[in-house]
Amino acid sequence: MINFMFALTIGILFGIGVFQLLRRDLIKAAMGFSILFSAVNLFYLAVGAFSGDFAPYVSNVEAGRQTSDPLVQALILTAIVVSFGSYSLVLGFINIISLRYNTVDSNEINNLKH
Amino acid sequence: MNNNVFILGTLITPFIGAIIALLFAKHNRVQRYIGFLSSLVTCISSAVVLTQVHTIGVQTYRLGNWTPPYGIVLVADTLGALFAFMVTAIMIGGMLYTVHGKDKCMTYPAFVPLFLLMEVGLVGAMLTGDLFTLFIFMELMVLASVSLTALSDDPFGLEAALKYIFISSMGTLFLLMGIAAMYAALGTLNMAHIAEILATGDRPFLAPASALMLLCAFLLKSAVFPFHFWQPDFHTTAPTPVSAMLSSIVVKVGVYGIIRLVTLLFIEEAHLLHRWLVLLGIIGIFFGSLGALRTYNAKRMLAYSTFAQIGFILVGIGWGNPLALVGAIVYAFNHAFIKSSLLMLMGVVASYTKIKTANFADINGIGKKLPAMTGWLVLLGGLSLAGIPPMNGFISKLMLIQGGVDRQDWFNLILMVGAGILTVMYMIRAWQTIFQQQPLETTTSTKTEGDSLIAPFLLITVCLLLGTILAEPLILIVRETVRQLGDPSIYISAVNLFGGA
Repeated sequence: MINFMFALTIGILFGIGVFQLLRRDLIKAAMGFSILFSAVNLFYLAVGAFSGDFAPYVSNVEAGRQTSDPLVQALILTAIVVSFGSYSLVLGFINIISLRYNTVDSNEINNLKH
Repeated sequence: MNNNVFILGTLITPFIGAIIALLFAKHNRVQRYIGFLSSLVTCISSAVVLTQVHTIGVQTYRLGNWTPPYGIVLVADTLGALFAFMVTAIMIGGMLYTVHGKDKCMTYPAFVPLFLLMEVGLVGAMLTGDLFTLFIFMELMVLASVSLTALSDDPFGLEAALKYIFISSMGTLFLLMGIAAMYAALGTLNMAHIAEILATGDRPFLAPASALMLLCAFLLKSAVFPFHFWQPDFHTTAPTPVSAMLSSIVVKVGVYGIIRLVTLLFIEEAHLLHRWLVLLGIIGIFFGSLGALRTYNAKRMLAYSTFAQIGFILVGIGWGNPLALVGAIVYAFNHAFIKSSLLMLMGVVASYTKIKTANFADINGIGKKLPAMTGWLVLLGGLSLAGIPPMNGFISKLMLIQGGVDRQDWFNLILMVGAGILTVMYMIRAWQTIFQQQPLETTTSTKTEGDSLIAPFLLITVCLLLGTILAEPLILIVRETVRQLGDPSIYISAVNLFGGA
């Protein structure tokens, strides 16, 4: 059951993320970007976090309990850091662009089009 | 098997250089020399790795001495070492250009550190033996190059950077999904371990899906046909040394990833991917060459040309037989040198104009006022790109054609050779427009001094050497590379999974 709920959540988040990313408003697009990364992080969580009921401490492993996969948590942490970095960079760019063009409508930011 | 310190050295020297450069934030000149020095040391270190790999065999470095696949391992097989050497060698050229550069963006304290971090990302992506680390290094490279483009003197740099960061983040997302799918399917992220499991014929449900997602991510990074649209903008607006690096070595990360994908990880699915690679490569060759013929800006023309040249490399990989693979790798190596030098030359031309532009209408006939050597260097570079005998471009194209003849794929071979003529057309056109014609009334006024020619001159010299004296060692190393690629067990056994150091 929990797997199904997870799959559903990831799917819905992906849908919202892609929809937001394709909006004309750059800030909404950046939000979609962040939502998409959350969806991927949840996907990572679904890969290994439910393989056991206990936290992956040494004591739990030695006691022979079924622990969850610790690696996916490390991967998610790294992915969160990386996506935060690029998200802040995107927001910074949008900030400067909005000052320079006086708009965040991606249809009007078209000086590269020749 | 000992840990090879030079692999770590190649990775960590530019990183240390970036940190030291940040400490000298107020002394711009010192920063640039630090950047040049650390790129030089990195290149020497990667050359040592390459010679060791060539003479002794595949070298590894276990981070923290953890046994793979539990820990991260850096692997330098001949492919990785060769590509890393190419990256570091061209980075010297970029740094040399930066030392003498007169752009305003180069005076910002963040420029040199970001440039060095880009090198860390590039080298790391090519030397790592772990998929997740590959993702991290690629993202480091993307963030550094995006920031560098946003700093550019070109007012449109920021727009191009925003465009690229959105698109490349989609690529990153695909890469992450692919890695997660791989982990779900196989429970490991170590490339040697993945290859070992997949070689047993075991095919979990998610593995082919993961292959496709990784392929999409790599195609996006090297700007191949359906994912190419960001590339001309991004490569045109970047500062000159950065755009030279972007167009020559950053796109090669994707090429490297694709070679790894079809020769190490997914060998059984490779024939399916091959067909797509040839098709996308041919489309890219035509699209890129015609785009380069039609465009209005010299730097943009070279960016489109990169798109076409990556097509040549992909066709070589797609043919997949050893001869074509040798051709593709030699092509990738040579193209990096030619394209970086040509972009720097166009940067020099642009730096002599008052408004700093490379639009053909503005620089028509400007060549008479430049140093006389510029025209000759551009001509040599153009001939090399087109594959005229004394230069290195000829050898790579010849080897690619040999591969096609060996594969007997006549249709695509004829298309490829025919499209090669377009290269001559656009390069000669650009040379004539800039250096042969009389200035028009639209031509802008020039300055008396511009950027130094030393970096492109050195790179063109290497091009000439690679076409003549150095051609044989290069081809020997590439043959060895392809022999190793043909036998993935060499890579797998060198990593020594579950074994002691």
